[in-house]
Amino acid sequence: MRPHIILRYIGVVLVFNAVFLTISAVISAVNRDSSFLPLFCSSVITLLFGAFPLIFVPPARQITNKEGFMIVMSSWLLSCLVGVIPYVLWGGEFSFANAWFESVSGFTTTGATILNDVEALPKGLLFWRASTHWIGGIGIVVFMLSVLPAMGSARMVLYRNEMSSLAMDNFRHSTAKTLQILLVVYVGLTVLETVLLTLCGMTLFDALTHSFATIATGGFSTKNLSVAAFDNLAAEIIIMIFMILSGIHFGLLFNAITESPLDLWKSSVVKYYLLSMGIGIAAVTVNIHGSVFPAWGAALRYASFQLLSVGTSTGFATADSAIWPPFAQMVMIFFILQCSCAGSTSGGIKADRVVIFWKSVIKRIKKIQHPSAVVAVKVNNEIVHDDVIEMSVLYIALYITIVFIASVLLTAMGVDSLSAFSGSAATMGNVGPGFGTVSSLGNFSRIPDPGKWILSANMLLGRVEIFGLILLLTARSWK
Amino acid sequence: MSLRLKILSGFLILTTMLFVAGGMSIYELASVGTSVQKLLDDNYKSINAAKMMIEALEREDSGVLLILSGKWEEGRSAVTAGDSLFQKGFDIARYNVTIPGEHNYVNAIEKKYKSYKNLWAGPIADTKNEDNLNWYFQEIRNAFHEVKSSVGELTALNDRAMYQTASMLKNKAHRAIMPGIIAILSAFVFTAVFNFFIHYYVVSPIIEITRGIRLFTAIRKPFDVKIETKDELFHLMSSVQELLAQSQNSRECQNEILAGDETKK
Repeated sequence: MRPHIILRYIGVVLVFNAVFLTISAVISAVNRDSSFLPLFCSSVITLLFGAFPLIFVPPARQITNKEGFMIVMSSWLLSCLVGVIPYVLWGGEFSFANAWFESVSGFTTTGATILNDVEALPKGLLFWRASTHWIGGIGIVVFMLSVLPAMGSARMVLYRNEMSSLAMDNFRHSTAKTLQILLVVYVGLTVLETVLLTLCGMTLFDALTHSFATIATGGFSTKNLSVAAFDNLAAEIIIMIFMILSGIHFGLLFNAITESPLDLWKSSVVKYYLLSMGIGIAAVTVNIHGSVFPAWGAALRYASFQLLSVGTSTGFATADSAIWPPFAQMVMIFFILQCSCAGSTSGGIKADRVVIFWKSVIKRIKKIQHPSAVVAVKVNNEIVHDDVIEMSVLYIALYITIVFIASVLLTAMGVDSLSAFSGSAATMGNVGPGFGTVSSLGNFSRIPDPGKWILSANMLLGRVEIFGLILLLTARSWK
Repeated sequence: MSLRLKILSGFLILTTMLFVAGGMSIYELASVGTSVQKLLDDNYKSINAAKMMIEALEREDSGVLLILSGKWEEGRSAVTAGDSLFQKGFDIARYNVTIPGEHNYVNAIEKKYKSYKNLWAGPIADTKNEDNLNWYFQEIRNAFHEVKSSVGELTALNDRAMYQTASMLKNKAHRAIMPGIIAILSAFVFTAVFNFFIHYYVVSPIIEITRGIRLFTAIRKPFDVKIETKDELFHLMSSVQELLAQSQNSRECQNEILAGDETKK
């Protein structure tokens, strides 16, 4: 492994972060708010740190898998660290633990916050907060490699590590083409949503920051009451549509845009994702009608927004689902665990693995019935190999184990069981809000500092799909 | 890029980093100083003025009571002294309006004080009001309380503003400290990275070149050193390579000449 090459590419990522910090500083200067100096200082430090390896280290034509992996992992961690600087320099509610939690939550597109008063934040800092979602959403490294074509064949290696392995299996395009797809779909959706939200009456600033959070399936809002603060049905519908789209495999979306939208329906994963969401919305609507909302219209409106928000791992809120009946909460917890499709910016176990899991259960039942039969698990009419099935099942088991361990640790710190479990599941799935004190209109400020560190680790584990971080910690033993 | 520029860039970056963080610290510290001065000028001055006005009002009240009880000379002098003190305090408050809405409080004090003063400014001794405690309790005392409560409101307003400024001071102090901490940590990390690059791109190639020369001179091992960068060290390596190649050629030539001589012999 060549540390200088790793440092060079991390430098590229840091420079990219510095660009967004500079934009945030400009916004702060225009608004004459108190975050200019913290943002300016952070952007200078980040830019200098990023530029130095670019000056010293010549570009590499080839990088190894191991190096690519280290670049991706280190970029995630260093971006989170860079994200902390403007927060701690600004002060307010940001202690170091709080700033780290907020930064990790931003870059992992979780959207969980420790802030009691989001609106007290100056505009520059609010923009930076939303930017961390956008940068993190598509994966800092993937995005950087799309922007900078100078990296040649190095792209393939980085890309493979950045995306979920399932997403890679689904991609039929060359890496360069795929990066182009991601960029076009990601930027295109962001611009389109911003325009539509502005037309719905939101300010350009709110529209842009909410688009950043929607497309990245993040969930940071500029308001204490999240999307509920706007009380704007049209905006809610637009955000819901874009949340659904952001939860679908970007390659499939690209195909749907360039070829036929009906192609989406050919994917059994997308079919399952949309159907499960539909059933979930119907179940929650029926459950909250009467007990929480007297009118069917209101029940449907709030149930669909809240469920799509957690089901796509976005985390926006239009209602306080913490006061909803237990059945509705349990349905939502299922979606907090499952989330959307691989190849999107969402987190969680992912619909793909759930489909594989259920199909492998059916396969096992068939094998019990007919021991000598040859039964294959098929997704999209293609056979899923046993190692993929094994990895999926193992992933689900490990995922739930980690959620459980984190919940136990939180309860040991005095956090109530509902907040501990839902908070742990919501951070692991990069969803954001849970139930109890960490509900959709609440925040994580009441969690003790060691708990915030545990939940930050959860977010990172969830974002890099567990195995990524485990491999990083065991890097010395690689062969 | 040349090695000189690379090393210079390292030092420049380190300096800039410390300069920016230090500059921010100094700015925030200076603003802490300004805030303290502002706190004293804006709020503390008004609070003192309010205290002065309350002291004056109480003197005036005692004076009125003295007049009512027949000690009109003592009473008048107390009332006059109180009035002069009140005017002094009021002038300070009037010319130190720094909080939004503070002028409304000052205007209210002025208006209520005028009404209060009108009650005792005229003669009291030898009038129907002398020894008239009812008049005192129904009119004077009420007017006195009204002025006093207006002054109290002004004090409360300034107290609140002072508390807010003090809270901001705490935040500003935090902001003054943090750039320093970040500068120290950044400088530490940067130095480590810089040291690594200097070792990798400067020290290691020099060691490699030296070892190459030693091996060449000792056992005639061909000089084969690879340098990634196109800087001064690369040129040094090329020059050494050329020199050693020339040396090798001349040695071979000498050997050939010697071998030729021996053959002739």
